[in-house]
Amino acid sequence: MSVSPPPAPTYPPAIEHAIAQIGELLRGDYALSSRTMALLLLQGDPEIWDEVEAQEGRGTVERIRSLKDTLEQMSETPLAWQIEQQRQQWGRQIAAQVTQATRSPRPQTLADWIGWLCMNPWTGFPILALVLYFGLYQFVGVFGAGTVVGWIEEDLFGGHINPFVENLVRSVVPWTPIQELLVGEYGVWTLGVTYAIALILPIVTFFFLVFALLEDTGYLPRLAMLIDRAFKSLGLNGRAVIPIVLGFGCDTMATVVTRVLETRRERIITTLLLTLTIPCSAQLGVVLALLSAYPLGLAIWAGVIVLVFLLAGWLAAQVLPGRATPFYMEIPPMRLPSLSNVLLKTLARLQWYFMEVLPLFLIASVLIWVGQLTGLFDLALRLLAPLTRLLNLPAEASVAFLFGFFRRDYGAAGLYDLHEKGMLSGNDMLITAVVLTLFVPCVAQFLVTIKERGWKTALGMFAIAMTVAFGVGFALSRLLSGLGVQVG
Amino acid sequence: MRRQARPRPTVLIVGNPNVGKSVLFHKLTGRYVTVSNYPGTTVEVARGLMRYRGREFVIIDSPGMYSLMPITDEERVARRILLRERPALVLHVIDAKNLARMLPLTMQLVETGVPVAVVLNMMDELERAGLSIQIDTLAHQLGVPVLPTVCLSGQGVEAVKELIYERLTAACADLPTRD
Repeated sequence: MSVSPPPAPTYPPAIEHAIAQIGELLRGDYALSSRTMALLLLQGDPEIWDEVEAQEGRGTVERIRSLKDTLEQMSETPLAWQIEQQRQQWGRQIAAQVTQATRSPRPQTLADWIGWLCMNPWTGFPILALVLYFGLYQFVGVFGAGTVVGWIEEDLFGGHINPFVENLVRSVVPWTPIQELLVGEYGVWTLGVTYAIALILPIVTFFFLVFALLEDTGYLPRLAMLIDRAFKSLGLNGRAVIPIVLGFGCDTMATVVTRVLETRRERIITTLLLTLTIPCSAQLGVVLALLSAYPLGLAIWAGVIVLVFLLAGWLAAQVLPGRATPFYMEIPPMRLPSLSNVLLKTLARLQWYFMEVLPLFLIASVLIWVGQLTGLFDLALRLLAPLTRLLNLPAEASVAFLFGFFRRDYGAAGLYDLHEKGMLSGNDMLITAVVLTLFVPCVAQFLVTIKERGWKTALGMFAIAMTVAFGVGFALSRLLSGLGVQVG
Repeated sequence: MRRQARPRPTVLIVGNPNVGKSVLFHKLTGRYVTVSNYPGTTVEVARGLMRYRGREFVIIDSPGMYSLMPITDEERVARRILLRERPALVLHVIDAKNLARMLPLTMQLVETGVPVAVVLNMMDELERAGLSIQIDTLAHQLGVPVLPTVCLSGQGVEAVKELIYERLTAACADLPTRD
């Protein structure tokens, strides 16, 4: 029977060379071509190794094995992976070459229509705005971060649990530094446990609930498709929508979730965007508190952040070598989510959050304790003071920036007091909000960035965030006074 | 039924799970089907006879496979059939909507040197998704015949039978014809 030569696809030269060499060594009678046998041997298929050993004997098998080992040592990635990559790439090329869109797919049912509306740019972005407003702002922000946190943090913890724990510790532990470590202003209990359980936990619970709902209705993959094109110019693809949307809940968690991205380049760009621009739910709470009285200020804040997001992503995509990877995602039908599934997912994520993030808050409170004991904090405050002066802000604002790094709401409270005393104008509040958002969100995210991206990258991002935060703050302050804009 | 002097030519149907392999199998074979565990495994394999223009062909419906390099038991059995039955023709059934994901297996099948034909199934769903595929270009690129079908409705199945007949009678011209 005549066997036509295999079509176009060829593997990397080193692999093709090995295929030829192995092919010469195979003399037995096999049902499949020697090319296939050689490839399966290189991929490490145990059944084929046995078969070849049975037909060719020990000596030949050892020669093939040493061929494979040499090839494996020379290459950075496993052979099986390289072979698979080549096939997939070839499959995509051919599919793209022969497939054509005859028309945009016609929606058939109501669910199809909704799904289509979510992906069409003209309707998709207004729908996105509605989802963000109701899902994120009203439900997570106003209700979760406002009302529910109010009950839990102020009434439950502030009114009952914390005074009890504080009294207990102060009466049992005699030594003041240890008392401070446990229940001081930034103690393990007062900051670490209270912050994680009373403040962040309710917020992320509400957020995860919304996230699971969006996921299970089929909205998230459609959002990924909608955003994909815009993200291409940022060196990302639609898949990055997942960590970035998660970032609005908790940047720390989102940084961990960048693992879903395919290349190191995409993970770095996304981590940078998360660090720099995406406000987490705690940050959003602060910004809304600062600017609630100034609608114009809120609009300018949002505009500045979006601008920095696009600019930083675009620049990072130019600077980092490589290009955006193609994006394939199966779009499931729009459907009503099952409540039990949504709750289960939320629960699983909360559990994960506790395991991964809670320890970081505990570490953070120990770090603050050390910082205060050793006077490192005073040093940091002195370093920040000239920067705040540059922004025409009172020196007290630097305390807010520094503490904001450890505990957002505390920084915000300080700023609010300054505003009440008339030391901060509406413009000052706007600039502070911008700087606080662009600044590294919190110590937990910084620690996670070190863990995921390594020391050098994490420190680089810290430096970039510092520079951009104060640089943009400075530019905005000059621009506002130059144009004579008063937000309130 | 009279035994033929030599084993009847065998056609093996392969492809990912849920692409319509079994539907095609039943459209080709009709009632002449036996389902049994593949020797030494718990994986079920269906064999049937296709009668076309006075000839008989054995059709085997293999378990779903994603790659020639097996991971699951189903895939292992599918490959074992390919290795041991030495089919005269392999029909690779493809979901036309997911062409890019299906082609890596086509490539591996073509590499084996066994004659392959691609059955491009679910053309109706492809059309509904607002897409079309240039069959000729695809066949040219792959170097094997490509047959568009909608197996559920039977559309295109006649062409598959015709191809089997053409390919296998040419390869086994010396087989005695039944009456």
